[in-house]
Amino acid sequence: MNTKTKRSDGTLKNNRAKYLFLMPGVIWILAFTLFPLVYSFGLSLTNYRLGKNPKYIGFENYAEILGIGDEKVDKKAVSTASFSAFLFLGSTAATLFFGTFVAWVFNHNLPFLRQMRAIVTMPLFAAPIALGWLGVVIFNEQSGPINNVLEGIGLGRVNWFIEPMPARFAVMFTDVWQWTPFVFIVVLAAMQSVPDDLYESARLDTKSNWQLFRSITFPMIAPALGTVMLLRMVESLKIIDIPYSLTRGGPGSVTQTYVYYAYEKGLVGSFQLGEAAALAYLLVVVAIVVSSIYFYRVRERFE
Amino acid sequence: MTNQQTALASSAPQSAFSRGSMSDRLIIALAIICTFIAFSPFGYAVLTSLKSEWKDGSIIPFLQFEPNLLNWQQEFGSGGAETVKALRNSTLISLGATAVATTLGTLAGYGLARFKYGIGNRNLVSWFLSQRFLPPVATLIPFVLMFRDLKLLDTLPGMVIVNATFTLPFAVLIMRDYFADLPAELREAALVDGASEFTTFWRIALPLARPALVASTLICFAFAWNEFLFASVLANRDWKPYPMLVAGSDTVRGIDFGFVTTRMLIAVTVPVTLSLMVQRFIVRGLTFGAVKG
Repeated sequence: MNTKTKRSDGTLKNNRAKYLFLMPGVIWILAFTLFPLVYSFGLSLTNYRLGKNPKYIGFENYAEILGIGDEKVDKKAVSTASFSAFLFLGSTAATLFFGTFVAWVFNHNLPFLRQMRAIVTMPLFAAPIALGWLGVVIFNEQSGPINNVLEGIGLGRVNWFIEPMPARFAVMFTDVWQWTPFVFIVVLAAMQSVPDDLYESARLDTKSNWQLFRSITFPMIAPALGTVMLLRMVESLKIIDIPYSLTRGGPGSVTQTYVYYAYEKGLVGSFQLGEAAALAYLLVVVAIVVSSIYFYRVRERFE
Repeated sequence: MTNQQTALASSAPQSAFSRGSMSDRLIIALAIICTFIAFSPFGYAVLTSLKSEWKDGSIIPFLQFEPNLLNWQQEFGSGGAETVKALRNSTLISLGATAVATTLGTLAGYGLARFKYGIGNRNLVSWFLSQRFLPPVATLIPFVLMFRDLKLLDTLPGMVIVNATFTLPFAVLIMRDYFADLPAELREAALVDGASEFTTFWRIALPLARPALVASTLICFAFAWNEFLFASVLANRDWKPYPMLVAGSDTVRGIDFGFVTTRMLIAVTVPVTLSLMVQRFIVRGLTFGAVKG
């Protein structure tokens, strides 16, 4: 009965109202997401620089970046892309690991955990640009608490902003610190939806927490972990605010992300919009691949 | 509704520890460590902002200085005009963007929850969400040119458009999910009574969806408040929002830690407070409904 009424709604021709609900949003996205995206593709086929007349040059920008034909590969695109890949892998893996661990800790029925849980989620909602500055204070070589603690326990000071590898890790740590709560709250929600009786019966076989986690909790939260992993991957490709304020991309450009490079190319200094659009478009392709996997996985939820 | 109940009722391996106080204590200790790691950078920033002189090498800063409000007074007092203006800009931009995103998102969310569209509802939802998956630079570059031609650079409407576009996916998702959970019979009953589709939405569904409306509003506001990238290019003078001041903290007086942390704390207070108020909607909102919270 119920399903019948629903179905008839959808196919009724005189039901114009349903389009009135949807259209404003659709038009908005067409105007401010889809149109700019098409525009951007058009730009990427030109040699546009701000203040100069653009000329159509086909796929030359792409050839230049990728080193196709007689062009040399854009070295900076490669080095910034590899730092982005470092964050894509490292930051995603670390947030998944720590987030799941923290969720396991908080998935116990003990006093004060609810209150502490709210505090643990705080970093997630802070502006990344501000957290970069917080990192500047925390990682400061002379007076920052991290170096003070490292020295206190006898590990010695680290030159976070001078040496390439520590600088990369400073950016990653800041990002991981911000995003671990995201994995945490999602995985905790998944853990809390595991029925209690599953644990009850499994406890007849084993007393080990690790065994329980491996045989019950993990399989039950695996779908949520997959979802969260894909979302983290997409987000990690977009990182720019944290290195922008934490390291300015330095030392040199070792902590410049690919997005940061495109931003700098198109919107700072010489405003090479055409080339920057081509750089950005290559990333759009990657984002489309990851998001397609995401939408394929969660398609039933949107029905 | 049901989410909250399940969250309260089920806390998984509770009985495993009900008598084993050793492991209880271990779990509490681990929870305290996690909380400390999440909070201590903020705490350190608070201490730093209450400090106007620095002694190098102080491991325990709160034992080696006398707290004062000089940094805060300076931020709002003598150098305050810029701060107040940026906070006003941020507030207006975020309010405008939230109003647009929540209005469009509520309408679209209701449509997607209650009707079937020929193109496929899941395709439409994915399409609304795909915006969040794009790298922002890809749309930022054309926005510069579009806004230049439309005379929207460094204006309130321009910044509202940009931020409404970012936050619309959250609004659509949160509202769609909530409307979908309301019993469909309510709408059918109202329609049988002769109410139009819009009256049914306005009089019946919308009042019931008030919690989701609040959540969507707060989440959109928080995300718009945090936006920096587009603002840095599209609004760098009159309509500069607060994160731009934070980003430029070093150009004013070198890196003055007390000053930087004061600004950083002002920037994070608003979104963090708002988010603490809508905890139960956050899981769904942030995973775009893929995981029920």
